[in-house]
Amino acid sequence: MKLKDKYAIVGIGYTPQGRVPGRTMLSFHVEAAANAIADAGLTKKDIDGLICYRHFPAASGEPDVTSYLVAQHLGISPTYLSQEANCARSQLFHAISALELGSCNYVVISYGHNALSSDSMTKMLLQRGIEEMVFGHFGASADYALAAQRAMHMFRTGSETWKHIAVGHRKWANLNPRAMFYDQTMTFEDYFNSGWVVEPFRLLDNCLVTDGGRACVITTVERACDLRHRPVRIMGIGQHHPSDYVQRATHLTGPTGARKAGEKALHMAGITLGDVDACEVYDCFTYTVEITLQDLGFFDPGEGEEWLAGGRIEPGGAMPVNTSGGLLSEAYHMGLTQITEAAMQLMGRCGKRQLGPATHTKEPEIILCSDNGGTLQTHACYILGRL
Amino acid sequence: MDYTKPLPSVNADNEHFWKGCSRHELRFQKCRQCGFVRWPASFICPECHSTDAKLITASGKGKIYSFVVYHVAYHPGFKDDLPYVVALVELDEGPRFLSNIVGCDSNAVACDIPVEIAWDDIADEWSLPKFRTLA
Repeated sequence: MKLKDKYAIVGIGYTPQGRVPGRTMLSFHVEAAANAIADAGLTKKDIDGLICYRHFPAASGEPDVTSYLVAQHLGISPTYLSQEANCARSQLFHAISALELGSCNYVVISYGHNALSSDSMTKMLLQRGIEEMVFGHFGASADYALAAQRAMHMFRTGSETWKHIAVGHRKWANLNPRAMFYDQTMTFEDYFNSGWVVEPFRLLDNCLVTDGGRACVITTVERACDLRHRPVRIMGIGQHHPSDYVQRATHLTGPTGARKAGEKALHMAGITLGDVDACEVYDCFTYTVEITLQDLGFFDPGEGEEWLAGGRIEPGGAMPVNTSGGLLSEAYHMGLTQITEAAMQLMGRCGKRQLGPATHTKEPEIILCSDNGGTLQTHACYILGRL
Repeated sequence: MDYTKPLPSVNADNEHFWKGCSRHELRFQKCRQCGFVRWPASFICPECHSTDAKLITASGKGKIYSFVVYHVAYHPGFKDDLPYVVALVELDEGPRFLSNIVGCDSNAVACDIPVEIAWDDIADEWSLPKFRTLA
């Protein structure tokens, strides 16, 4: 039997987010998971699968947040338990695989991090790239900036392109009361006035650091139809992991993993890019959005600025992108920011930012999600649709 | 004088590299089977999976593949260096090596310009391979 349209997202879990001091990483995982279970109209006794998103270094004084610890605190005894280390980005695949194997019936995927208020991110930064640290090279921002600088050498891109991405995301965040930047607007001038962090990235090219959690529940479409919300069917999935070491990589300026992952997901869904109504793409940096949309085939290298100009990805635009505000302006929950927002949009639960008449955009039937990790080293693409 | 920046982390895979640096030799593994010069140091050739390699000493000449300018110090040891340049140097022998471009203003750095090695002797047993631009 075909996997297309066989599985669905049925519940979403939120937590307080932003700067939320006095909370452990584990507390965000369990709160998000519990909320997702309740949102689906399920109880904990229904949950027999658990997948936890990236395993960040434990903050000082906190336990290592393994998935069995999350299960323990949720009071569940799953028959499928998985925890992806680092940036594999294949959580939805694992959920579908476990369901297809009959290992379980209802899978929770959860993420939680006290990234803003604890020392976990600093620990991660100092564990990463030990050979590069001697030269003062730290973390993701600088690696992506290396990719972006080379891209600026290879084709027309840079701040004039990225300003449309930063401002466009902020306009969506201004419609989302949950967004960390709900109350703060951004103009092109604000973008250019934000200081350099690691040049060519300004502060506003960088995503947020967030305390909070996010979760969702996956089950079969058959079971989904008995639950509370309109199910969100998983139409297509694809992965590609170029993996190569940043210093050696040739994929930094494209094609990234988005190319092959996108082709695979669209093929499985039996659609073309023209059938996609909106995108929720991983936006750790503005450049990531550009290169992902470019590799998916929305425009040719160097044509991003022209394609983005005039508000194409903004409220009222022809191709809305990151309608929650994304990682740049809503909150950072890794790929779950995108997946959960796509599901909420397709369920029709997004209030002021709802795609359709509320935002003068097309009623969403199909949304493309992307998830990217490492430095463009791992990539997954998901096509989600209304049932 | 106390050196306040991180020191190299030496392990069984990269020991030859850092030992070479202390003698101002930029040493990389070259696969005896397919000729691929690899970096990062590795037990196995990522091209052909042979474990048979010899060490070559690179000329220290290359060109800038990409670069960034740090305006924020993520580690206190680099605070006085701001703004400083981190670059991917494509060496003539093939590998791309992440390092610093020193001795020039960050505005003078650009992709594809030629560079040569500029050893930085940071402590008795440690020398870091950094690079400077060639006119």
